[in-house]
Formats: sequence, C-alpha cells, structure tokens
Amino acid sequence: MRINSKKLIVMGALCSAFLTSAANAQLNVFACEPEYAALAQEIAPEAKIYSATSAMQDPHLVQARPSLIAKMRQADLVVCAGADLEIGWLPMLQMKASNNKVRSTDNGLFYAAEHIDTLDKLEHVDRSMGDVHAKGNPHLHFDPRRMLQVANALSEKMAALDPEGAAGYQAKLTDFTDRWQQAIPKWEEQAAGLKGKKVIAYHSSFRYLFNWLGIEQVADLEPKPGIPPSSSHLAKLVNRSQEGDVMAILVTSYQDERGANWLGERTDLPVLILPMSVGGNSDSTDLFSLYDSVITMLTEVQ
Amino acid sequence: MSYLNKRLSLVAVACAFASTHAFAEDSSLTNPNISAVLDGFYQTGDRGLGGREEGFGLGETELAISANIDDMFYGKVTAILESHDGETEIELEEAFIQTMGLPAGLGIRAGRFLSDVGYLNNQHLHTDSFVDRPGAYRAFMGNHYFDDGVRLTYVAPTDLYWTMGVEVFKGDKMRAADMYEEHEEEGHDEEEHEEHGPREYDTVGVYSAFTKFGGDIGNSSSWQVGLSYLYNANGKVMVVEGEEEEGHADEEHDHEGHTHSASYTGENTYIADFVYKWAPNGNYKYQHLTVSGEYFRVTDTFSFEEGDHGHEEEDHDHEESHGDDYFEGWYLSGVYQFSPHWSAGVRYGEVDTYELHGDHLDPQKLKETELSLAWHHSHFSTVRLQYTNQKGTNFDGFEDDNIVSLQYVMTLGAHGAHQF
Repeated sequence: MRINSKKLIVMGALCSAFLTSAANAQLNVFACEPEYAALAQEIAPEAKIYSATSAMQDPHLVQARPSLIAKMRQADLVVCAGADLEIGWLPMLQMKASNNKVRSTDNGLFYAAEHIDTLDKLEHVDRSMGDVHAKGNPHLHFDPRRMLQVANALSEKMAALDPEGAAGYQAKLTDFTDRWQQAIPKWEEQAAGLKGKKVIAYHSSFRYLFNWLGIEQVADLEPKPGIPPSSSHLAKLVNRSQEGDVMAILVTSYQDERGANWLGERTDLPVLILPMSVGGNSDSTDLFSLYDSVITMLTEVQ
Repeated sequence: MSYLNKRLSLVAVACAFASTHAFAEDSSLTNPNISAVLDGFYQTGDRGLGGREEGFGLGETELAISANIDDMFYGKVTAILESHDGETEIELEEAFIQTMGLPAGLGIRAGRFLSDVGYLNNQHLHTDSFVDRPGAYRAFMGNHYFDDGVRLTYVAPTDLYWTMGVEVFKGDKMRAADMYEEHEEEGHDEEEHEEHGPREYDTVGVYSAFTKFGGDIGNSSSWQVGLSYLYNANGKVMVVEGEEEEGHADEEHDHEGHTHSASYTGENTYIADFVYKWAPNGNYKYQHLTVSGEYFRVTDTFSFEEGDHGHEEEDHDHEESHGDDYFEGWYLSGVYQFSPHWSAGVRYGEVDTYELHGDHLDPQKLKETELSLAWHHSHFSTVRLQYTNQKGTNFDGFEDDNIVSLQYVMTLGAHGAHQF
C-alpha cells in the first residue's frame, strides 16, 4: 500500500487540481466525530465540513444510514479517530458510498490514531474481554499534545489533497498551534489540584484526559468495555465508592447516566456528565471551550 | 454437493486457524475477516412456506471470509450449512468480488451475491429481528434471493441519498416449477411429454432494477424508501391442458422452500419498501425503534397453453378467468430496543397466491402475526422468544396454528458492519 502512496498523492493532487478549477478550492470534509470536525475547522475554516455523529451519539454504535452514505459520496477527505472505533459502520459506508477518493489512507482517508502512540494497546484480544480495541484506546482527543500531533498530520493531509490551499492550511495550523500551546499550561495549572484524585467513570472514554491530568480511574461503571452497567456490578461498586477516596462519578454526554445516578445516590458522590466532544454541552463550541468546560466542571467538584 | 464439501472444509479449516484477535486488525489478503454465525432453535410447530420446522433445529450456520483483495477489489465468501429432515445442506450463499475504486460513484459486483431488490433481501438472516423471514420472502424470494450474476450500481453526489442499480442473474432458483418434469418423475406417460418437448429455459433468467432514496429527519430519525422491479424470463408456469396436475404443485413448493428457490414465481415482480429508524438524539446504544414494511406483487404467473387435443374455446375461457391473476404479499414490522439488553418486535404480514389444481387455480392466503422478545447479552449474542400465529387458507398442513419459537443467534469472529 505504502509503495503506491506517492503515485496516489500525485493522482489525488491532479484530481483535486481538476476539481479546483471547477469547484472553487473548497475541500469537502467528512468527520466521523465532532472533535475532528472541530479540528478540521481550525485548519481549514473555508472547507465544507460535516460531522457524521454528534457528542450525544456513541461513536461505537452508529447506523450506516443513507444520509451518511450520501455525505461520504461527496467527500474529498474523511477524518476519523481510527483504532477500530468506527469498525462497525465505516467499512459499510465506504462500500456503499462508492467514493474512491476516500478509500485508503494513501489518499483521502485520515485516522488520527495512526499519527500518535495510543494507550492500552493489547497483544491479545478476546471477545470475552468485551468491546476492546487491540490498536489501543481510540478516545485520544482529550490529550492536548497528541491532538497537536494529529493537527500537524491533518494539515499535511489537507495540503496533499489540495496543494493550492497548502499555504493557507499551514498558516492556520501555525495559528492553532500557538493558541493551543498557550492554552496547555493554563489548563494544567487550573487542573493541578486534580492530580492524584480518584474517580469512577463509564468506559475508558476519558483515558487520555486522566493520563494527562494524573487522575486515577479506580472503577468502571461498565462491567466490561461496551457492556452497560448491570445492577450486580453497580452493587459491587457501592463498596468501592464508600472507601472515602473517590472524588466523583463521571459519565459522558452520550452515556446513560442512570447507573451513575443510582450509585451517586447511595454513596453521596457527585455525578458529573462531562461533554464527550464539541457540542456535548452548551459551553463546548470548539476544542478550546471543550477543554475549558471539562476542566472547569472537574475542578468545581472539589 | 460433494465439490462444495471440499470448499467448505477449507473454510472450516481457515476458521479453525483464525486467531481470535484477527477481527481487530485491518482486513487484508494476509489477514481476512473471518466470522461464523450460530443459529439454533426449538419450535412447537411447522411454519408454512418453507419456514422453520417443529422441534429442535439449526437455522443457517454461516461461515464467512472477507477482505480487501487490493486497492481495487474487495471479496467475500459466505458458506451456509442448513439441516432439513435429517440432511445437511451446504450452499455457497456469497462468493463475489466488488469494485472499490471506480470513479463517479459507480460500483460493480460480480459472482454470487444477494440481490439488492427490496429492503430485507440484501441483509443476512442473522441480522433479522424475527425467527423467519416474512411470508412474502419465503413465497417469492426463496427466503432471500442470491444468485450468480453481476450488478452495476451508481450513487448520486447529492445530499439526499439516491442510488440505483441493475442486476442480471442466472435465475435457476427463480424458475417456475416445470410441470413436465414432475410428471416424468412420477412415471406418467413419457411419450406425451416428448411430444410437447421439454421447456427451454433462458440461461440468463433474471433481470432487476432498483432505486433507493434516504435521509435524516432532524437528529433522531432516518428513513429510506426503495422501488424494485425484477423480470424473470422463466417465471411463468406453463400449464398444458388435459394433463393431471392435482396437488403436485403444492408438494413441489414445500420442497423448493428448503432449497432456496422461490415457491411462487411470475414473469414480473414489483417491490416497494420503506424503513424508518428512530433513536433519542440519534444515539443507538440504549434505545432505538425500527419500523419497516414491504409490498410485493408478482404478475404473469401462469400461462394456460392448449394441449394437442385442446379446443380454442376452452383456451379463451382460461384466458378470461386467469389471465390477470397475480400474487401479492406484504408485511409491516416494528422493533423497539428499549435497553441495550432487550428488544421487542411485532410483525404482521399476508401472502395471497394461487395453487394450480388441474386446469384451474385455487386462491391461497397466509396471514402471519408475530411477537418477539429478544435478549442481547452483547452485540454478538441474542436469545429470542417468539410467538407466531399463522392462518392459512387452502394451504396443505396448516390452518390456524399458534407456534412458539425459542432461538439463539450468535456471531463469532469479525465485527460485521451492518447495513441500515
């Protein structure tokens, strides 16, 4: 596959050059999740960007529905988390959309996870372990430094697909990088008090956030990844919660909060519904405000 | 079937060697997606039109291998094993290649594959929410119609999903039951048949065309509608007068049901289908609703030809009484998943056909009411309890039956990406 990449990039360049004259240099971007729509927006504000899912939708379980096929059919670039997060629907969309521009990562397909080192890669995966990913945890957008690596790679990808816009993407990337690098120490300072805190959370959705801020997830509301909280499992968590060292119970915008609320009521622990992505609450309108919102909510618990 | 046995044992060997983590990695030639579907049931009665039988049994046990062959082609092989009356039937359900790199929204699929007419037909049986396909599918599509042929599809570059396609198939399993052969089997006067000559079937028998539209309504709802037409050159039953036909057509039908041939055929089949899905905020994890329905009309079903000794008057008689007879079938289904572990469904469907008796047609009617409750431990395991009431008019073997089925459907191996 890699051998052909140069050829394909040239071909892609030719194609987009051809389209450019016809369609005004506007990249059509299909993002699998809203965080990547937001990132694409930072680098290519002129692009036509569509997000296949919202922060209210579990990206593991998306229907390969007609509207998504229609959007992918028109896309020049498909941006997804990767690491098999979208394996239950993306291959079906690709087959149904018949769009050869977004078939392969050699041309208009981009997986964020391929450009960073994912956490929790597994040597061996078995279905009895639940819905786990051998390629590591795909919910990587809450690690600011990894996101910067992804932004760099995405900008390169956009430049390869649309050489005429390359200077523009580079300028926007530089602008984004500056603002992002200024924000990181501010977030870290704000979250300093969270270091070493213990939480109970739902799934490994915030694995990268906890890794970054030094928060420890001591228990999972899910008995196994992808398996919703059962009453017997929740009952076990009551004991753990009452040891006195747990700060809060965390769920995300697309997860059912009933299990968390049940546990919260029994243990007097606060339950937080954190936005999983841009649009997950009213404060989260872009990547910056998403990080702001999540860190503010966490620090306000204390 | 023995040559198939060999191929299948290869599939089985491949499956045995496949390590369990294969599903989590990219599918390529060296690392294909391999999956198996296990389907077993217990049922308290026989379902009509080739549905499942009474007692313990296995549904379709499916073994599938798929992978991108290179950057242009994708390939898939699906073998199914089914047992009926103590015999195990083995068949290749799919063995196709699909282009992935054609420009302009075009795609070509060739080999053996599921026809894309209607809504359910191109979906695998294990994704169904009920134990059996609706009666209309069992009657007109041989449960689900797959065949050897080629398909060309086009997806329009519009925000409203719009696809269209044409297919050409061999059409063997859609052939009308041949009345001559039946008599030969039963040792009737063979000279008479030679006089008429055996029927010349077209070797390319089935042509189809379909179009589908779809989109979203707000964040929570999605829809798709489809229209399909299927021309079956060998679909019309040729009836020669003066020969004894009584009852045989029916026997033939029941048997054909198990071999995936359509029980009731005609020259033209028209299908209209729709599906509507709803989930709160479009989040399918916890709750979602699926409502779907299809309507089938099969026309030009019988041709009453004069025998050597026939009279013109009689022929006219039959033209008048049977010339515009058509088969019809429909169903409407609603399935609600009310928690990640539980879903419930209700389906009602009817099939109206005719059975040949001598030189005249008797109308038949099947009404099916079904209620199902399914428990899903994960995406990969389902246990289903279903109640079915089937009411038959002029069917052999059932009139008004209440049937309870208990079924499991489980998949192992590759994550299957499901269709809408």
